[in-house]
This record gives sequence, structure tokens and C-alpha cells, in this order.
Amino acid sequence: MLELNNVSVRFGGLNALTDVTLKVGSHDVLGLVGPNGAGKTTLFNAISGLLRPGSGRIRFDGRDVLGTPIYRRARLGIGRTFQIPQPMHELTVRENLIVAQRFGTGRVDADKIDQILEFTSLHDKAGRDAASELALTELKALEVAKALATAPKLLLLDEVLAGLETCAKRRFMQMLKDLHTRFSVGIIMIEHDIDTISSLCSRVAVLNFGQMIADGTPQAVFSDPAVIQSYTGSKHA
Amino acid sequence: MMLMMNKNMVKLMLWLAAVYLLVPWMLSGNHYVMSTVVAALVIGGVALSWALLGNLGGMVSFGHAAFFGVGAYVSALASIKLNLPVLLAIPLGGLGAVLASVAMLPALRLRGPYFALAILAYAHIFRIIATEWRQVTGGSGGVAQIPGLPTIMGFDFSSKLGAYLVVLTLVLLFALLYRHIRSSHYGIALRAMHASEDATRVVGVNSTLLKGMMLLVSAFMAGVFGAFNAHTINFLEPDYAFSSLWVTLPIVAAIFGGYRTIAGPILGALVVYLADQLLFKSLMPIGHQLVLGVLLVAMIALSPTGLLPLARKIMPRKKNA
Amino acid sequence: MTQLVLQALYSGLLQGGSYALIALGLALVFGTMKVINLAHGELVLLAAYIAYAIESGLDLGPMFAIPVALVIVSLASMSVCFIVSRVRQDREINSLILTYGIGVILTNLILLIWKADVHSSGSSWLQEAFVLGPFYSMRSEVLFFMVSLVLMGALWWWLSRSWYGRALRAVAANRDAATLMGVDPGRTELVSFLVAGLLAAFAGVALFSYGVIQPAYGGALTVKAFIITVLAGIGSIPGVLVGAILLGVAEALTVTLASSALQELAGMTLFLLVLLLMPNGLFGAQRRRG
Repeated sequence: MLELNNVSVRFGGLNALTDVTLKVGSHDVLGLVGPNGAGKTTLFNAISGLLRPGSGRIRFDGRDVLGTPIYRRARLGIGRTFQIPQPMHELTVRENLIVAQRFGTGRVDADKIDQILEFTSLHDKAGRDAASELALTELKALEVAKALATAPKLLLLDEVLAGLETCAKRRFMQMLKDLHTRFSVGIIMIEHDIDTISSLCSRVAVLNFGQMIADGTPQAVFSDPAVIQSYTGSKHA
Repeated sequence: MMLMMNKNMVKLMLWLAAVYLLVPWMLSGNHYVMSTVVAALVIGGVALSWALLGNLGGMVSFGHAAFFGVGAYVSALASIKLNLPVLLAIPLGGLGAVLASVAMLPALRLRGPYFALAILAYAHIFRIIATEWRQVTGGSGGVAQIPGLPTIMGFDFSSKLGAYLVVLTLVLLFALLYRHIRSSHYGIALRAMHASEDATRVVGVNSTLLKGMMLLVSAFMAGVFGAFNAHTINFLEPDYAFSSLWVTLPIVAAIFGGYRTIAGPILGALVVYLADQLLFKSLMPIGHQLVLGVLLVAMIALSPTGLLPLARKIMPRKKNA
Repeated sequence: MTQLVLQALYSGLLQGGSYALIALGLALVFGTMKVINLAHGELVLLAAYIAYAIESGLDLGPMFAIPVALVIVSLASMSVCFIVSRVRQDREINSLILTYGIGVILTNLILLIWKADVHSSGSSWLQEAFVLGPFYSMRSEVLFFMVSLVLMGALWWWLSRSWYGRALRAVAANRDAATLMGVDPGRTELVSFLVAGLLAAFAGVALFSYGVIQPAYGGALTVKAFIITVLAGIGSIPGVLVGAILLGVAEALTVTLASSALQELAGMTLFLLVLLLMPNGLFGAQRRRG
């Protein structure tokens, strides 16, 4: 469904991504890991259209999306959340979803919106102002809800669990487990916690200094010496 | 069920009766005040278009005089050189302003102050074109004897009363259009775009297109009022059509009346312009616009969302959207 | 033909020097406070009218007006600073509208006091032709070109060596960080407006001595100053000079090769081209795109 071929991104003299090749199928739940600054969010930005790679190809559902603007990629089925939640200002939670659904799919389906609100535990907060009246947990839930409202085929989750305390984290993990099945959507998730990744993802890809250094099952990847060295500096965990 | 008319409907009907029937009746004798009211409504219309671009488009403009002037010239010239009936020339003027705004679309990428001043630069350019393109626009001498509004079914719309009724209808129609856009899905998306444009883009909102459309709509409105004005004054010259007064007055009016509301700019225009013409001008024939400047400065320094809303806070009423 | 073009280049260069003087104050305030003072042109015009008043009232050349202009215009400028600092929300846009209003006030004050007539300096010494090789100009043009260079040099020195100058640059770079370093941003902003006022005073007196003044010019001056600021990009004084000369030359060439009526068009077109095609101006370091 998603194919990246030799994608490279440079910021001035910095090579943010170098020759990244990745394939994600519509039933995959792929974990994307790597040390801070490895280029994970940059990769998300390239896939969702917030930045344009200097070289390489990106294909989604068979079509070349390299020149496709952000909003069009969303309508094609690429949904994403932001690491620091970006709710739509001056709108209520429900209005956030209405806009996402209306412009992401072309129609408004009130039932689906209620479903998504239930799923993300935002039903009670539907009337609250999204930018000013939500706690962090709710803001993060809203990120996921907004993306779901666009009926995506591929969901890019950028550190959804970061900053959450234990209870919320457990709830979210359950939500993420169900996401894949309930909404039949492929997922790429960026997370730091190895246990989280291992329990949620069937496949893991590792980025280090902008390069893809591993791609396989969690067990295989996390025992790969190259991966261990990228995290700890030595060949043994 | 016909007897149980909605309270709001009744209010609306009374209100419409007041502006369409009562006001003309009260002012029928006094031509000077009537034409001042007409001018105030023209300014109110431009103020409305300015506020629309600001609220929905998220862009403050210092160049609405460009749309006003282009609309005026296109309509006037169409009715003279192409013998187009005035009632067709006016919307054509609006379309002319839209074309002018298409030239401004690239400026939408710019941040606030740069956009405001880029539009100002465009306005200057259009004024220079109007002054120099002598064969078409008559140059700095201007265009004279522009046909007035027609007589329809025995009623002469070129009279002061006729002009009042037409401009009033235009203002109300555009106010309705504004409200329709604002409460639509597009309006909601536009609201979100100001502070969180990327967030709207990743869910499929073509923010560039929406902003562009608001520019076009705002230009159309201002252009129509410019055209209308040309056919009531029956004379046009570049320094008048593109005068900075069509920038200053609408901005003062919109901010005074509360630029976040729909009625605000219109009411603001009525109060400010009538005060300026009937009061300040007689006290200070030269430089009476000083008061406008002072008003603008005071308003921004003290209450950026406008004075009328401030007054409403003192006397609470139902909340405006 | 070449002679005409060269003369145009020369005139444009000199004019550019004076334009730079006009633009410098605006660029300084913009760089420090991120505030575009739309009343700047009116401050320059005020100085010009003060020079006129001194010349017509006391029969003294414009040079004598400089001290008076310095005092009055810097006071006016600091008042603008005071009013602008009252704005709390949406500073960028609100200060824009605010200073626009102040501009309207100043224009109308000038109109009230001095009426709508056109004026220019009667001083014959200044108007006299000054010949440099094959090139003609007025003495005043050359004089104020020099003055402009000197002031720019002084400003550059002050910004890089003096305490307040460095504070200004610190606030321009990062207001909050500067505050944490002990710089009082409010006072720094006042200083920037003060200096802008001083520069405007010189620019206004210069304007009166080589050009024509009219109450309506305030707006046009602000627009020119802003065009140059945009050309220069943020934070560059040499950029202001280059931008100003570019504008002066563009105008002079338009007048010589096309027609004098299109002079303003040259500036506007240059402005739009730079805004849309070169986001950072010629030398600047800040993003202009939203």
C-alpha cells in the first residue's frame, strides 16, 4: 500500500533521511523506532506531505504521491497525528471531527463521528473547546480521533503514548490494539518503549541517523547487534 | 400554525419594515441626509467585505480601495463603452474586482503584515494603471456622465430614495451570503485555519483554496459597491476611486462596530460616517479625518474587538456568533 | 542615450542615499520590535514641515532646522512607541492598524497646521547645480547623500559597539532570552523608536531641501521605506542602503526610459517581485512566508 524507495531528505548540510526504503501493507502494524533525532518524524512528514524529499519515490496505493499536496494525501487515505497535539483552534471537539470527516472523506456521517468519539473516550468532551479545555490525554486522543475521522487507509501515529501516565497509557495501548481491527487501517507507529512496540507491532523498522538499519519481527530486530549499538553504543544490550 | 409565527421572524419583519419603509419615510424630505446614509451604506458594504476577509480569510488588508476602484471603473466603462445596462454592469464590476484579486492570490502565502502591505502595493498599481491608461480610462481626467440606476416599473431608482433601497438590498444580500459561508462547513474550517493551518491540512482541508476563495468573495463585494457608487455619483477619477478613504473609513467602521460580527461593520459605518459628515466636518472642515485617526488609535489601544461589542458587554444581550 | 542612462544611474544613486535615510528608521524599529510603524513616513514629513516652518518663519536654511526637528520628531516617535506598547494581543496586526491610525492623525495635523499647499526649500545654495564629471545633481542631493552615509556608518558603529546598540540587537534576535540576560525590552524598544525618530528628522530635513513636500506624501514615504525594508531583509543595515539605491535607480531609469508617471509603478513592481520571489529579501535572515 505504501512504498518508499530511496527517499532522502536534506536540511541544508544535514542528512535527515538517507536512502530510506520501506514497504507497508494495508494489514501491517509497523513500529518505527530509533534514537532521538534519527529522522522518524521527518519520515512521517515526508509521507504525509509536510515536506518534500530531495530524492527518491513515494507511492501510495500504486500512485506516485511525491508531488501531491498535503490535503490531497489526506483524502487519499494517509492520516497522521502530531507528536505535540495540534487541535483545530476555535472549534469544539465534535467540530474538529466534523471538519476532518467532511474534508477528509467528502461527507459527514454523524453516527461514525459518535463511534469515533466513543472509541477514543472523548464522548463526554464532545462540546468542549478543543484548544483550551482539554487535558493532555484528551488532546492525544483527539489527535487519533481526527485522523480516524478522515477514514484513512494508513495511519501514522507519532509518539501517541509519550508523556502519558500509567493508567492512560494502558487505556491507550488497548485502544491502539483495537484500532487495527476495528477500523481496518494499516498503522505505522513511532514509540520509544521497546515493550510497547513488541506487544503492539508485528513488524519493526529501525532508523538511525536517517538510515534504515533494520526491518523485521520485534524479536529479530531487538537482538540485532547493529540496533543495540545504535541505542547503547555497545554491541550488547 | 400560521398564527404561531416565530418570535425571531416577527422581529425580522419589523426590522425589515423599519429599514425599508420607516427610514425612507422619515428622511424623505432631507436629501442631504439621505445621500449621506447611502454613502454610509456603501462604506458599510466595503467594511463588511473587509471584515469577511479578516474573519474568514484570516487576512487583514490595506488595499480594499483596489477592489472598490476596479469595480467602479469596470462597471462605468462597461455601461458607457459597451452600452451595458447598469444593472448588468454592476455585477460585471464585481467580476472585474475578482479578476484583480486573482492577481493578488500569490500574496496569500505571505504573513499578516506583509500581505496587508502587498495588497496596498497592488492598490497603488491599479490606481496608476487607471491614471495612465488614458485611452480606456480617460486618465486623470476621469470618466464623466456615467449612467445612473434605471427606472423600473415607473420607479426611478436613480433618485436618492431609489439609491437607498438598492444599496440597502445589496448590503443585506451580502450580509446573508457572509452568514451562509460562516455557518457552513467551509466557515468552520476557515475558523480553524487561522491558528492551526497544518492541522486542517492533514485532515484534508485545501486551506490555500479556501483562503483564495475568501479573497475573491471579498473582492467581489467591494467591487460591487464601488460599481454602485460610480453609478450614483455619475463621475469617476482615479484619485477618488482608489482613494485611501475607501481603506480608512471601512476599517474604522468595522473595528468600531465590531469586526467579528456581521452587523458590526454595517452599524459601525453608519455611526462613524454619519458622525464624520454631519458632525466633525462642520467643526473642522479641513482635517476632520483627524477624528477618524484618533478613533482608530483609541479603539485598538483600548478594545481591539470594537467599541460596539464593548457597549454590549455593559448591556448584556443574547450572544453573537 | 548612454549618457542619459548613466545620468539616471547617478541620480538614482544619490536619491537612493536619501531614501536609505528615510528607510533606516523603519527598518530599525521593525528589526527590534517586529512592528511596522506605518506612521514613519509622517514623522519624516513632520520634520520636513518643521524645516519649512523655520525657513519661512525665521528665514533660516534647513540646516538650522535640524536641532528642532530632532527634538520634536524623536518625541513624537517615542509617543508612538508608548501607544504601541499598549497593545497586548495580536501585536503584529494590531500595531499595524494602530500605526496606520497614527499616520492618519499626523497627516491631518500637518494639513490643519500648514494647509494643503506644496512647498520646497527656497535656499539657493542647496538648489544650485553640482557637477561631478559629466553628471549633474543638486548640491542638496549630494550633501544629504554624504550625510546619509555618515549616519549609516554611525548607526552601524553604535549597534555593534554601544551597550544600547547591542541590547537592541539582542532583543531583535530573541526578546525573551534578552530579558533573561538583564535587558529591559521596554526601554530598548523606546531607544529604537528614539533613534528612528532622530533618523527620520534628518531624512525629513533632507527631503525638504532637495524635494517637494505636501501633506499627502506621508503615506507614500512610508510605502517607500517599507519597500526598501523588504528589499533589504531583516536585520541588515548595508541591505537598507543597497535596497534604497536599487529603488532609486529603478525609479530614475523608469523616468528616463519610460515616463515620469510610471515612477511609482517601478517601486511597487520591484516590491511585489521581491516579496513573492525572494522570501528573505536581499540580505535578510527571517522567514516571510506564513
